[in-house]
Amino acid sequence: MTITKKKILVANRGEIAIRIIRAIQELGYEAVAIYEKPDARSLHIRLAHEAVLLGNGPRRDYLNIAKIIRAAQATGAQAIHPGYGFLAENPLFAKYCEDAGLIFIGPSSKVIADLGNKVVARQIMASHGIPMVPGTANLPQGPQGEEDALAFAAQYGYPVMLKATAGGGGRGIRRVDSEQQMFDQLPIARAEALAAFNDDSVYLEKLVLNPKHVEVQILADHYGKTLHLGTRDCSIQRRNQKLIEIAPSMVSKPELLEEICHTAVKAARAAGYTNAGTVEFLIDQNYNYYFMEINTRIQVEHTVTEMITGIDIVRKQIQLAFGEPLDLEQEDIRPRGHAIELRINAEDPKNNFMPEGGKQVLVYRSPGGFGVRLDGIVHQGYQIPEVYDSLLVKMTVHGFTWDETVNRCRRCLQNFVIAGPKTTIPFYMNIVEEPDFIAGNFDTSYLETHPQLFYYDEDKSDVSKLSKFITEIHYRKHNPFSS
Amino acid sequence: MERIHQGCQPAEVIERLRQAKGYYITNTARDMSQSDYKNRILLHTELLAAPSRERAGYFSLEITGGASVHVDMLRKQVDPFVKLRLIRQAMPTTMFQTLCRGVNLFGYRPYPQNVIRLTVREFAHYVDVWRTFDFLNHVPNMTAVFEEVALAGKINEPCICFSTGPEHTDQFYVNKVAEILDVTGPDIILAIKNHGGLGTPKRIGQLVDAIKQRFPDLPVHYHGHNTDGNDIGRIVAAVRYGAVIVDASDAAFTGYYGPPPVLTVMQTLKEEGYAAIGLDEAAIIETSDILTSQRGYYEQFESQIRGFQPTVQTHKLPGGAMGSSLEQAVKGGFLNKVPEILNKELPRVQRELGNYWSVTPGSQILWTTAVSNVLSGERYSNPSGDLRNLLLGKYGPFPFYQPEEWIYQKVLGDNWRQVLANDSGLSEIPDVDLAQEKAELHEKMGAEPNNQQLVLYLQYPKDAIDFFKFQEEYGQVHVLPPSIFFKSGGFEIGQTLYFTDPHGKEPIIEFGPSPVDDTGVTRVFMNVDHYQRVYNFQPEHSAVANETAVKLSKEEILDLASAGDVRASFSGAVYEVSVKEGQEVAKGDRLVVLEAMKMQTPILSEVTGIVTNITVKTGSSLHAGDRILKIDPVA
Repeated sequence: MTITKKKILVANRGEIAIRIIRAIQELGYEAVAIYEKPDARSLHIRLAHEAVLLGNGPRRDYLNIAKIIRAAQATGAQAIHPGYGFLAENPLFAKYCEDAGLIFIGPSSKVIADLGNKVVARQIMASHGIPMVPGTANLPQGPQGEEDALAFAAQYGYPVMLKATAGGGGRGIRRVDSEQQMFDQLPIARAEALAAFNDDSVYLEKLVLNPKHVEVQILADHYGKTLHLGTRDCSIQRRNQKLIEIAPSMVSKPELLEEICHTAVKAARAAGYTNAGTVEFLIDQNYNYYFMEINTRIQVEHTVTEMITGIDIVRKQIQLAFGEPLDLEQEDIRPRGHAIELRINAEDPKNNFMPEGGKQVLVYRSPGGFGVRLDGIVHQGYQIPEVYDSLLVKMTVHGFTWDETVNRCRRCLQNFVIAGPKTTIPFYMNIVEEPDFIAGNFDTSYLETHPQLFYYDEDKSDVSKLSKFITEIHYRKHNPFSS
Repeated sequence: MERIHQGCQPAEVIERLRQAKGYYITNTARDMSQSDYKNRILLHTELLAAPSRERAGYFSLEITGGASVHVDMLRKQVDPFVKLRLIRQAMPTTMFQTLCRGVNLFGYRPYPQNVIRLTVREFAHYVDVWRTFDFLNHVPNMTAVFEEVALAGKINEPCICFSTGPEHTDQFYVNKVAEILDVTGPDIILAIKNHGGLGTPKRIGQLVDAIKQRFPDLPVHYHGHNTDGNDIGRIVAAVRYGAVIVDASDAAFTGYYGPPPVLTVMQTLKEEGYAAIGLDEAAIIETSDILTSQRGYYEQFESQIRGFQPTVQTHKLPGGAMGSSLEQAVKGGFLNKVPEILNKELPRVQRELGNYWSVTPGSQILWTTAVSNVLSGERYSNPSGDLRNLLLGKYGPFPFYQPEEWIYQKVLGDNWRQVLANDSGLSEIPDVDLAQEKAELHEKMGAEPNNQQLVLYLQYPKDAIDFFKFQEEYGQVHVLPPSIFFKSGGFEIGQTLYFTDPHGKEPIIEFGPSPVDDTGVTRVFMNVDHYQRVYNFQPEHSAVANETAVKLSKEEILDLASAGDVRASFSGAVYEVSVKEGQEVAKGDRLVVLEAMKMQTPILSEVTGIVTNITVKTGSSLHAGDRILKIDPVA
């Protein structure tokens, strides 16, 4: 009898593929990478035990369920980890895995389907008494839909949000400020939802102005145990995309946060949730909180929770998926200190965060020392992909106090050297020196209300500038300064 | 006697000069750089010399002003204020001196009053002694500077510009001094500004004597140039008759058109029985020992014509303009005409235009007119705008006599009397709106400017912006030694560069190979602070891409240019096309301006003819040898 090692296919790319491969290897298992042609030189392939080329892509092969399942079968993988993005919250993918006898590392396809449909999710939560932002069911097609929408807005007042039922991750959301806008926006929102999610269902929600975005990390096994790992704050966003995440929430009301965590566990139980998930809430200016949604995947910002709890969430995901029970109790989870995660992207914040696709990282030097963790795809010579995302590396720092953590963050940003593309580093340097951030005061309006963050010198390093000058003298041969 | 330290109150400085038993020396490092090295001596070199110059005990170090403020930004890529700040750190006790062109400041044309005052205020943070002159010795052109210098608590050193000729009598100059004192009051230093190094020792002795006889309490500072090799003689005579400060500089860098060596001055005057106050001979020798190793880096800036020029007594070109004038002759291809210009035409033009003082901007007017007169064949047929303004009295009145009527007619046209009647004399230049200028600069820089940046911008709008942008991209390149800053032809593989960055650290920069890949991209590999860096250079697409690229040597490019086939002499982008097809051009006319590394270099015509075929446009990037345009030479 031969003992075969457990083998897991990682159905993703970029930093999260590397993150998952690391967890797999630490469990003593083997990791299978998949890739599209533009990713052929990518770091995640180098770290995996083996790799399968899916096709030329871009993106469509990472979204091709059949190809990925075939790759798992061909390599003898027993399980698939979907990461985030791509197929991570596609219930069909989970379903095909289940049907093919592959372990899908995440909740069941039914739970993904239920929670992926915002309206169904709201119904489940409503029936369990979870507080929610007032909203409608799916709006009917035609004039009846308009009528329902106007009636809702009349009852709760503008502004309201038009949301795609199948949307998520901040996409498919439109703000509506008046009746006229409602007439204009409704058909546009439907058309967009159809194009983006292949489903033109939309619903309305009251817009909570300048809320804090707080979420709770959940772990649930197949034997009825559901635990929470505390809160995260993801309020610092641009256009509903998160930039900076911290753990725990800086809301100085411990009872409120405790209540939110309990509510999150209740919500997960209501949905029959298993594996790791995130329950998202909004906290308004009067400290009312509302359920938003449950994300049925590992999240980009999971690292901050790992840093303060010491629990490897991805490792737990794999163990739970393989049927192991949760080997800890709620009281074993004792968050300690603070963690901040910065998404270091190859983007130009001054130019509306335009990605720097196509540029090459000429120099990459990362910070080290106490309390810093890097999860990245970048290396010296890395070419910023034009067809994938522009995330280079996530920097997560941990400290005993908030002040210590912010100062560590600043120190680590100063130690970073990335030459070639523009990055979000100088922008983050401004944030960690901004008094409101230092005081822990921020909500989702933070970037809008602090426009000074966008003023900075691109490359402050003298040696960078000087070496560029020296290189010009070297390359051009003709030196205009000596004639 | 004790030396005078920086920070001493002006009245006390003047009093100590009046009581002095002996003489002081100003080290005119700036004038030496301008006269013999086209103003290109780098801050890096000045900082090497700074510690021993500080110990040498000079009355002052003349380190800014003249053309240097402009050249600092334009060719040395150093902020003139940063330069002063860094040298001040290294030389805390030595007074700094500037040369200010009065209403023309550090530029070539008159500036509005509020620009003058703001500029003086900003420079006065660093500059203790203000030597101010006007090329027509027209005192009202200097009064704004006098006032601001006094307000800033600094020392005024007004000049009488000196020249020779029948009109240049002691009486004239003594009256000029009286006119200055009427404006400034008695607590000033008077400079005799002998920018040409004119006159014999005897003549200078007489002049100093005449001034001291009339104003015994007035400290006199003699400034000369060694163009004829005899400035030490004039210095000795000046001191003998009562000058209390004289100008000289470090022997290791002395050339032919600038100041004489400090040590020679001291040795000579010692025998004459005059004590050098505060001066430390060992430190002076040490400075030259340090500078000797640096001179080789500046060879390319030394004058094309070397050797003393006793003929300066005839042509009177100031030392500070010799280098640039001869450079123009070489670039314009008329070096062979220089003897005729200098020895015949220039003295003639000088007499015809009123025998005023040949110094900036008046010297440029004389030189340009003389060159144009010789090259065009018809005298005064191609007058410059500046000559026109001179005749119109825009710079001030002629000091002795006006040019003859035929010159007015040539320059201003047949209706010259009418023109003169309508538009002559000094006109008030309206103040600029400083807040608005600052706002414009803010927009152009993309950042809030400080007053120093505003001052630079107000004097040289375009060049200041170019410089600020250069700095943003390339940083503080003034930390680079001349071995790197002036390097031509590239570095060797494996070569390690040594310099100290603005924070006192020594970066490690080593050159690796520079392979060119299939697509023509050159990848320059370097090791910077233990990490590899790669800089990619896109191939420069030739404007005539489909033509087989031929590599031409410098000589071949010059030969083609002489036949009217103008090629790029180096790789760069076309910054400006200065001519149009069908246009007539003369030899020496600017055809296009090429830019490499944000530096603009004009390409001048080697022939006289008609422009026929322009194959480039603004922005085209060119390889050395690429076609620019053709000229049909006119026989």
